[in-house]
Amino acid sequence: MSQQTNKVLPQGVAESDFRAALEQFRALLGAENVLVESEQLVSYTKIMMPGDVARNTPSAAVTATSVEQVQGVVRICNRYRIPVWTVSTGNNFGYGSAAPGQRGQIVLDLKKMNRILHIDAELGTALVEPGVTYQQLYDYLQEHDIPLMLSFPAPSAIASPLGNTMDRGVGYTPYGEHFLMQCGMELVLANGEIYRTGMGGVEGDNAWQVFKWGYGPTLDGMFTQANYGICTKLGFWLMPKPPVSMPIEIKFEEDTDISDIVEFIRPLRLAQVIPNAVVIAGVIWEAATCNTTRAQYTTEPGATPDSILKQIQKDKNLGAWNVYACLYGTREQVEVNLNIVRGALQQLGKGKLVTEEEAGGTQPFDYRAKLMTGVPNLQEFGLYNWRGGGGSMWFAPVSQARGSECDKQYGLAKQILNKHGLDYVGEFIVGWRDMHHVIDVLYDRTDDDERARAEACFNELLDEFEKRGYAVYRVNTQFQERVAQSYGTTKRRVEHALKRALDPNNILAPGKSGIDLNNGFEL
Amino acid sequence: MMTTTKPQPLRQLLLGCALLLSATAAVAESNRADGEQVYTRVCGHCHEAGVGPVIKGRNLPPSYITAIVRHGFRAMPAFRSAFIDDASLQAVAEYVGNSPAPGNKGKGKE
Repeated sequence: MSQQTNKVLPQGVAESDFRAALEQFRALLGAENVLVESEQLVSYTKIMMPGDVARNTPSAAVTATSVEQVQGVVRICNRYRIPVWTVSTGNNFGYGSAAPGQRGQIVLDLKKMNRILHIDAELGTALVEPGVTYQQLYDYLQEHDIPLMLSFPAPSAIASPLGNTMDRGVGYTPYGEHFLMQCGMELVLANGEIYRTGMGGVEGDNAWQVFKWGYGPTLDGMFTQANYGICTKLGFWLMPKPPVSMPIEIKFEEDTDISDIVEFIRPLRLAQVIPNAVVIAGVIWEAATCNTTRAQYTTEPGATPDSILKQIQKDKNLGAWNVYACLYGTREQVEVNLNIVRGALQQLGKGKLVTEEEAGGTQPFDYRAKLMTGVPNLQEFGLYNWRGGGGSMWFAPVSQARGSECDKQYGLAKQILNKHGLDYVGEFIVGWRDMHHVIDVLYDRTDDDERARAEACFNELLDEFEKRGYAVYRVNTQFQERVAQSYGTTKRRVEHALKRALDPNNILAPGKSGIDLNNGFEL
Repeated sequence: MMTTTKPQPLRQLLLGCALLLSATAAVAESNRADGEQVYTRVCGHCHEAGVGPVIKGRNLPPSYITAIVRHGFRAMPAFRSAFIDDASLQAVAEYVGNSPAPGNKGKGKE
């Protein structure tokens, strides 16, 4: 058996202890599921964040295939005080990929736990393991002719419903706020015990996937974006496939239109005339997802001039802002709602409505239609070709669904990005009363100068937004401590107390969302 | 309707809800060793859609393909052995290396 390692050790762990732990992992999981050599670990170090990869290099990666094995891994980690970073499918690009949050943490890779445990076609519920992908779930529904529709983020084909929901990701259907649709979790706690939320602790119960709250404190939220337990099963709701789905796009000519667009959309969304998580996408987002690259228009470094963006808008027949919405129901219901949308648009006096027939299968309409009707694809990765070079960070401040607020955030983000020689590549995803303002900070990671500018830019975005009372809802692992600071010290002390109570050896993903027994926030 | 998938041994559960899980046994992801299937379900989403470069019809050596898949390259993500095992990766690399160029370059995949 190989004793070779990649020479990175978990923080504060003696080499002899690490080797002893590895032997126990091998006995538990089989040698083939304990990766320690550099060549085996290289896939865990492909990141899109600007920091040096050394800060996210694991000491080892272990693969579990059952809940019992996860319990065993946690027990070994406790015995030797080894910090363990868990990934499901590990494809959370732009937020950290499959790399651990801190150097030397071992990765617990749950991709091989990929069973669809339960689908209830009548109640519209699913129960899955961490390694299940949306594509796998989609194929399963198709093969078994089950009339339920998935909601997923754009990297659907290779992303995990469990991972996305635990990170409070969003999708584009009426079920787009994924954590809202979550119902029942199973967690392996740091002491190896298994905890089921909601109705899951009741012997003989069959309502775990249909009633969220159970009895007493409802703790599900505490385990999301957190490090208090390892989620090994997740229940969630699936929308019945409607008889008719009608995706539409509304193009707006000017980037100053954003405020009016939001005021136009909000009442329709609140009244559920448009029931899905509507998107308002900016021009570069649109251009990149119909396979337009920056290099096709300019080789000058820095921010892309507005004159070029206007040219792209014209050449590719795009709006400066592009609204994607979908209407669902019977033909009659869809028609009624479409007429309401048309009426509101007429009152607004601008905006061009495009139907699926008019779009004729072209991008980006085609992939947006698929996202809104639950068909997996990866077309949105076209974003990564805009500048190329594999650098991406999601800057995702929350905003009220109010025109003046969105306008303010857009202007501020664009000004800061441009100052650092980067572009505003953003979209607003409309929740019910909020906006996830999602901006892809794209840069060439192979260019040291651009990498440094991107890092400085991200820091400035966080700082300047914070000064105005804005904070992000999610962030990549490089900035997780920084963002925790935005949410105040009381929250951090509460989180620290929970961590100390549930994970006294600080083994579960220390540093996740800034929660770490070493962060000095004792209550 | 309650769907039932292929049987798996019932796992020992420390808490309740065994009834729910035992009523419908689990299904795991299908065999990934089929190169064409892997290509269609994963690679093709980008490499047939004009997002990633066309890789069929270029006689790319399987060893080159497997190295890029494991390491990643610029915007191309790295895929771990837990995501696609060595045998399946070899199969898809050989499938890609031996396939003719797709007829429908750069257009959206249907």
